[in-house]
Amino acid sequence: MNKLVISVLGPDRPGIIAAVTRILFEQDCNIENVSQTILQSEFSGIFIISLPERLQPEALEAHLREGLTPLKQQISVKRLEPQRPVFNGQHAEPFVITTMGPDQKGLVAKITEIIALHGVNVTNLQAVFKGGDNPTDNVMIYEVDVPSEVDQQRLRNDLTARARDLGLQISIQHRQIFEVLNRI
Amino acid sequence: MLNEREILSTLEMLKNEHLDVRTVTMGINLFDCASHDLECVKDRIFSKITEYASRLVLVCDQVGDKYGIPVVNKRIAVSPVAILGAPFEAESMVEIAKILNQAAKTVGVDFIGGFSALVEKGIAKGDRMLIEAIPQALAETQRVCASVNVASTRAGINMDAVGLMAQVIKRAAGLSADRDGIGCAKLCVFANIPQDIPFMAGAYLGIGEAEAVINVGVSGPGVVKKAIDRALSSGADMDLGRISELIKRTAYKVTRIGELIGREVAENLNTQFGVVDLSLAPTPNVGDSVGEIFQSLGLHSIGVPGTTVALAMINDAVKKGGAFASSHVGGLSGAFIPVSEDLNISDAAAGGYLSLEKLEALTSVCSVGLDMVAIPGDTSEDTLAGIIADEMAIGVINKKTTACRIIPVPGKSAGEHAYFGGLLGQSVIMAVKNREGGNPFMRLGGRIPAPIHSLNN
Repeated sequence: MNKLVISVLGPDRPGIIAAVTRILFEQDCNIENVSQTILQSEFSGIFIISLPERLQPEALEAHLREGLTPLKQQISVKRLEPQRPVFNGQHAEPFVITTMGPDQKGLVAKITEIIALHGVNVTNLQAVFKGGDNPTDNVMIYEVDVPSEVDQQRLRNDLTARARDLGLQISIQHRQIFEVLNRI
Repeated sequence: MLNEREILSTLEMLKNEHLDVRTVTMGINLFDCASHDLECVKDRIFSKITEYASRLVLVCDQVGDKYGIPVVNKRIAVSPVAILGAPFEAESMVEIAKILNQAAKTVGVDFIGGFSALVEKGIAKGDRMLIEAIPQALAETQRVCASVNVASTRAGINMDAVGLMAQVIKRAAGLSADRDGIGCAKLCVFANIPQDIPFMAGAYLGIGEAEAVINVGVSGPGVVKKAIDRALSSGADMDLGRISELIKRTAYKVTRIGELIGREVAENLNTQFGVVDLSLAPTPNVGDSVGEIFQSLGLHSIGVPGTTVALAMINDAVKKGGAFASSHVGGLSGAFIPVSEDLNISDAAAGGYLSLEKLEALTSVCSVGLDMVAIPGDTSEDTLAGIIADEMAIGVINKKTTACRIIPVPGKSAGEHAYFGGLLGQSVIMAVKNREGGNPFMRLGGRIPAPIHSLNN
C-alpha cells in the first residue's frame, strides 16, 4: 500500500480541511493521520494518507492543487518511505522544558542546540513571543523525550547555564507532574 | 500533548504560590531493636535507622528535581519509644533520645519523631519513664520530637496523664528557658493521635503499621489563597458554594502532587507508600499562610466573628478535594492554625484579634488544636492542665484529633514576644484569662469515661 504525506500551508479561512478531505474522498484515499494548527493567521496541516492502487501521486497532487489554489493554499506531496526511525523513543522519559523571559533573536536555536547535543528529541514545541515585560507573554514550552542513557543531571546543568546566559527562567520537569495535577 | 494553560498554571503554583511538598516522613519500626541491654538497644536503633534512611534525603531531592517540586523537609518517625524502651528508667530513655538524635543527624533529617507514649487509658511503667524523661530528652537533643496521647474517643480522657503532661511541659520550658522554652515546641499532647502523621511534632510510627513506610505531608495555603484572590477579582459571581468548590479543586491538585512524590520516593527506597496528609501547613513566610486565606475571604483578620465558620468550610473543602485525589489519606488532614508558625496568625494574636478562647473554638472544626501557642511562663500547672484537658475534650467528644503544643515561655508575660526561629517562627505571648488561684478540679485525677456513641446531639 502506497502512503503519501501531504502538507497544506496558507492563510487560514473556513473550508480548507473540508476542501482537502472532499478531494481525498473523491479520489478514494484513506486518511490515516491528520494534524493541523494555526499560527497567528496561517493555517498548516499535515495529512498521511493511503493511496488506492490505481491512483498515481502526481494525479492526486494535481487534483489537490486545482481544488486548493482558489483558497490560496500551497501543497506539497511526498511518498512516505517505510524506515526505522532515527530516534528510538522506547526507552525515553517525557519531560517538559519551559522558559520564560525577554524575547530576543535566536532563543529557540540556542535552547534546541543544547537539547540536540544531548540526543534529546523534541516531540512538541509551543512558543509565543509577544514582547514586553510580562514573563508569560514570552514563553517556550518544549515537550521532549529524554532517552534513558542521557545523563539527566548534565542536561539539566547545561540547559540551566544556557538559560542563564539568555536571561531566561527555565524549568525542567517530568511530564507526569502536569498530567497528575491537571487531569483526572 | 499538554496545553499551554496547564503548564503555565502549574508553574505559577510552584514559583509564586509556595506549592511544595512540606515533608516526606519515613516511618521505621524499631520493635526488633528491643533488648534489656541499653547499649545493645542503642546500637540496634542507630544501625537500623541509618540503614533504612541512608538514601532518604538523596532520593527525596532527586524525585523533587525530576518534577520540579521541592521536598522541603525529610523526616523520620519511629515506633513509640515508651514501648520499645519499656524495661528502662528515665535516664536510659534520655540516652535513647540521644541516639535517635544522632541517627537523625547522620542521615541528614531535621526532625525525628516517636519519643512517644500512648496512655489514654492507663500509664505503664515504660510510659511513665518516658514521660519523665521528656524534658531532659528535649533539652539535650535538637531533632527529637515527643508526643503523648492522653485521650481517645474509645477510652476517654486520662486526667492523671493530663496532669503529668502539664508538669512535663513546665519542666521542658524551664530546661530551655534561655531559648524561650523551645523544648515545648517539640512536644505535643494528643487526643486521638493518628498512627501515620508525617508532620512534627506528632509523627510516630503506629503499632499497626508496616516495617517501613513513607508518609507525605503536602502544603499549599498560598495556592488556596491565590486561587480565591483570582476568583474574587475576576468579577465572576462567587458565592460560598463556588468558593468551596474552588478550594476543593485546589486541594485536589495539591494532594495529587503529594501522592505522586510519595509513591515515587517509596518505590525508589523499596518501601511501602503510606498516606498523604492533606493539611494546609503554613510557614512564617508571607504568601504561605493559613491566616491570609481568611483575609482573602473578606474577614478583617483570623479571630473576628465568622472565623470559625470560614475555617469549617475551608477544612471540609480541603478534605473533600484531597480524599478524591488520593486513595490513602491520613495523618491530621485539615487546616493547621499554628500561631507562631504562621506570620498572619501571629500578627492577629499580637493585634488582639485572636484570643486563646477563640483559638480553642477554632480547634473544634480544624484538624489540630492549640498549636505553637506561647503563654505566660508563670501559668500554673493547674491552669495548663485545664487548657490541655479542655482541648482533649473537644477531640474526644467530636471523634477527631486534637492536640496541644503550648509553650509557657519562662520569665515572660502576656504581650511580650517569644522567638523560636526557623519554621517554628515567633509569636506574641497570648494572655490566659482567669488563671488566678488553684484549680482543685484538675487534681481530682482518674479517668473521664469514654463518651456515649449514640444520642448524637
